Order: sequence, then structure tokens, then C-alpha cells
Amino acid sequence: MIIVKDLSVERQDKKIFENINLSLVPGNIAILKGKNGSGKTTLLKALLNIIEPSVGSIYWKGKLLKKNLYDFYNHVTFIADTTSSLKKLTIKDNINIWKRFFMSNINNTQIETALKTLKLDNYLDKKVGTLSFGEIKKLEFLRLIIENKKVWILDEPLSNLDDDTIELMKQTFEDHCAKEGSIIFSSHQNPGIYVSEEIHL
Amino acid sequence: MKFLVNPNKFNEIADYIFKPILILSIVLFALGLLFALYLSPNDYQQGSTVRIMYVHVPSAWLSLLTYAVMSLYSIAALAFRIPFGYIFNTAVAPIGAVFTLICIISGSLWGKPMWGTWWVWDARLTSVAILFIIYLIIIFMNLSFENRVVREKVVAIFILVGSVNLPIIKFSVDWWNTLHQPATISKLSKPSIDPTMLTPLIIMTLAFMMIGLAISILRIKTEIISRKSNIS
Amino acid sequence: MKFLNKIIYFFYREYKLNLSGIQDILTNIIFFFVSIFIFIFSIGPDKETISLIGVGIVWTLLLLSSTLSLRKFYQEDFENGNLLVMHLNGFSYGFIAILKTLSNMIFVQIPFLLSIPIACILLNISNEKLIYVFTSFTLGSLILSCLGSISSSMNLMNQRNYLLGSVIVMIFSVPIIIFSVGIINLEESFNSLVNILFGILLIVFAINPWASGLCLKLSLENN
Repeated sequence: MIIVKDLSVERQDKKIFENINLSLVPGNIAILKGKNGSGKTTLLKALLNIIEPSVGSIYWKGKLLKKNLYDFYNHVTFIADTTSSLKKLTIKDNINIWKRFFMSNINNTQIETALKTLKLDNYLDKKVGTLSFGEIKKLEFLRLIIENKKVWILDEPLSNLDDDTIELMKQTFEDHCAKEGSIIFSSHQNPGIYVSEEIHL
Repeated sequence: MKFLVNPNKFNEIADYIFKPILILSIVLFALGLLFALYLSPNDYQQGSTVRIMYVHVPSAWLSLLTYAVMSLYSIAALAFRIPFGYIFNTAVAPIGAVFTLICIISGSLWGKPMWGTWWVWDARLTSVAILFIIYLIIIFMNLSFENRVVREKVVAIFILVGSVNLPIIKFSVDWWNTLHQPATISKLSKPSIDPTMLTPLIIMTLAFMMIGLAISILRIKTEIISRKSNIS
Repeated sequence: MKFLNKIIYFFYREYKLNLSGIQDILTNIIFFFVSIFIFIFSIGPDKETISLIGVGIVWTLLLLSSTLSLRKFYQEDFENGNLLVMHLNGFSYGFIAILKTLSNMIFVQIPFLLSIPIACILLNISNEKLIYVFTSFTLGSLILSCLGSISSSMNLMNQRNYLLGSVIVMIFSVPIIIFSVGIINLEESFNSLVNILFGILLIVFAINPWASGLCLKLSLENN
């Protein structure tokens, strides 16, 4: 579905990476590996057409990404290293806002089970600002369930999580792949799951 | 005309024309001062103070001209992706600010003997003061962004938004001024200028232009070099 | 229809967000009134003087207090990545700017609109003039929202000089304050001045999506 050809990105006349090739079909996972500052986030942003590549092109469903942008956005969930939940509101409010904003067709029981597996179901009326960083990050992953889209693009999803949650994430990844979804994520550690594409930056 | 948009070509041409421009500016400035201070007549009303005009008016014209050229280069940089426009904007903004400042200072020096006060809330003075503040904002923006790409583009956008807003501001200030009718407005109304005064005025304007051009060549060259070595 | 729903829920989100931070908006209003008090203390309680310069004071302070909340315009959403989420949810950058401007108009400027009558009572502005203050502020606040959007999107990546955004808004709002105060003082030329203000509004409303959208794009690109 996503094909990347000879992608290079320059920022302020400095080459960040060169000649990245990638093709991702439904049901596959691609991982970006690299040290801090090697341009993992930049590559993810280039995939989302937020940063313009200096050379190379990206295709979505056989068409150039630029010409097919909003169709692509309809099929992709991006989770950055920041957390987009609103700190002043409770978890419940955040979920409500997300559900409506993303036009989600997920029913409440699915969200409840997801909350339970993430061990957030006891804090529903707590403000997000009072949660710990790991919990906020876990809450962010709820967006993956709520948005219910085919392609997941995740920036460092496994960092700052405890072992249980990492296991849970891996399980979720595999389930998503089984449902013909595809995932691109960046990581500086070894995730320990089967990936079909590996890119070293 | 490629040297107007291409840094390398600009460097080549600048090496050729810098010295002639410098010499020309010195000659014109000396000639202009000679005309302005000795050969031009006194004004029958204002006496010798009219000679301030030969500094005041050219700097006022050039402050506006600089802004106009900066907006042209901003359009070129944003619409046609010519990075030389950003270099030009960064290099030239302080020069425009200095011209505006000279205009304001000489204006109030002129105003003190004429109106008996350093500052009058006259329409032109007010709009020039606003122009000066806009120049200052451009300079501060150039200083306060960490990221060069964002900085230069944001400054170009600001210059363009300003070029749309400046006529509105000018118009509103004019309207405001006629509304409140200060007593001194007649002194600034356009006088028909005598040819004996026009010659030094034109020479001084050309001299100011050449000085501005020489300084901007130096500044643009510095900017190009610092960009190449990634200092800023 | 789907898109319309998204817009509606954008405003739902802004409503929730502003409701939870209602104390910020109220603090703005309090700032407005406290500065009126300070003004009165500094010029003395003479009724004549106050009603003479009252309209100017109201407008100056409205301008100052509405620039206070400029930092909130995009900064929070930019830092926690919500601008990106909105963009990926199908809003173009320019459209985000328009929506945010409208939301600023609704949630930040309308509370000021409601506090104007009280300010007019405090400053001895006659009831007949109140309608003019209202008209001019409705138009002026829209223009202020647009200018605020432009300047705060410009300063998203500006980590050193936070005050610059307010300075930009204030220097560009010179025409607004002149014409708005003009509306109130010159009742006979009411129509023409309203038209001029409306024209300025259309100009900044046309520039706003372009300028803010471009700045948002730049900041997200280089963040």
C-alpha cells in the first residue's frame, strides 16, 4: 500500500538521511531503527507528507501521496512522541472528544475492555494531568483503538513503558496485522516481534 | 540580471561594483553636502533650518523604498522559492531601520525650531514611527528564532502581512489626524519646491542610495558567507 | 456531512477545553476591570474627564487584555501535538487557522463583549453610545482574533521572545482602534466607518488562513 522510493530529506542544507526504500503491504510491520537524532521522527513525518522530501517519492495505493493525501489521512493513525490528550480534562472527556472527533464507529464495550487491559478503568474521572507519564502514554494508545484505521504510524511506541504494557502492545500489533492492518514504528531498542521490513538510519 | 537572485552571481558582481559604488557614494555625498550647506538658498520662512530637509527627505524616501524592495524579495522568496530573498531580508532590515531612525531624528530636530516641540502627533510622523517599530519587529524576529528555516520564512510572511497592513495604517492615521486637526499641519503641507533646492535634494537622495547600496552589499556578502559556514 | 460533524466536534472540543480553563478567561476579564480602576486612580475621579476619554480607555484595555491570552491560541495544541492530529484528521492548515480564529472569537472575545456594559457604567459612557461600542467591538474583536491568529502562529517556534506576538498584534491594530473609537465619537459618520472596519475585517480574514496556515505548516515541519 505504501511504497517509498529513494527518499532523501535535507534540513538547513544538511542531509538527514538518503535513499530510503520501503514497501509496506497490508499485514506487515516495518521498523525504523537508529540512534537518537538519526532522523527517525523526520522520516515518519516525511511519510505523513508533513515534511517535504528533497528527493524521492512516496506512493499510496499506487498514486503519488501528494495527489491522494486526504484519502491517505483517512486511513492512517499517527502517534507522535508527544501526548495529545488534553491535560485539563478527565479521561472520560478525552475519550468522548476523540470518539466524536474521529467519527469512531467503536462501541462502548470495546473501549471498556481496552481500558481494562490498559488498567486505566479505575481512573476514568481523574484529570489526565494528574496521571503518571506512562499512564498518559497508555491512554494515547487508546486512540489506535478509537480511530480504528488501517495504517498505524508510531513514533517510539515502546519507550517509557513497563514490561507488561510492552507485551500488551506487541499483542495488539500482531492482532492488528492479522486484521490486514499495517504498522510502521520507530524504536531504538529491539522490539522482539517479527517485522517484515527493517530500516536502519 | 541573475545576480539579483543568485548568491554566487551576486558575489561576483558585488566584487566588481563595490569599489565604484563606494567612490560614487563618497563623491555624491561630498557634492550633496556642498550643495546643501553652501550653494542652496535659505528658505524665506525657515531660514537655515530648511537644510535639514536634505537629510530628512532622502532618508524618508529610502526607508519606504527599502520596505518595498524587501516585500518584493519576500514574494520572490516565498512564491518562487528563491533563497536569496531571505538573505536580502535579513541583511537589509537594519539598514531600513537606520534610515527610518535618521528620518525621525532629523524630523524632530527640524520640528523643534519650527514648531517649538520635538514631537507632534502629525499623521506623517506617526506613520513613520509605526514603520520604525515594524522594522524593529523584523530585526527582533531575526534575533529570536532558533531555527533558521522557520525564522526566515516567518519574517518574509511578516513583511508581506505588513506590506498589506501599512497602507491601511497610513490611511487610518491620516484620517485620525484630520479628525483631530493639530494646529501645525499647514507647515508640513506640500510646498512647491524650487529648482535650486531640488538639485541638492536629488543629489543627496542619490548619495544616500549609494551609501545604502554599499552597506547592503557588505551585509549581504557577510550573510552569504555566514550561511555557507552555517554560523547562523 | 462527515466533515460538518468534524467541525461541530472541533467546537465541542474547544468548548470543553475552555470550560475547564474558565478561570483563565475570567482572569482576563478581571485584568480588564482592574486596569480600568488603575486608569481612574491615575487620572482622578472627575466625571467630565472620565466620560470624555472613557471610550478610548475601554478600547485600549480591551486590546491589551485580549493580547494577554495570545499565547494560548496555538501554543498548547502545538506542543501536545493536537494540531498535527487535527491536520491528519482532514483539516488543512488554513482551515485549522479559520476554525481556531472562530473559536477564539467565541470563547475569548465574547466574554469581553458581555463585560462592556459594566465597563460603560463605570466610565460614565451614556446608554446611547453603548450600541456604538458594541458594534465597533463586535467587528473589532473579529479583526483582533484574526491578527492574534497570525501573530501567535508566527511565534510558535519563537522560544526566546514571547512578548513579540503581542507587539505585532498591537502595531497592526492601530487602524482598528482609530476607526472603532471614531465610530463612537462621530455618530454622524457611523455607516461609513462601519464599512471601513468591515473592509479591514475582510482583508485580514482573507490574509489569515494563508499567513497562519503557512506558519503552522512551517512550525510543524521544523518542530
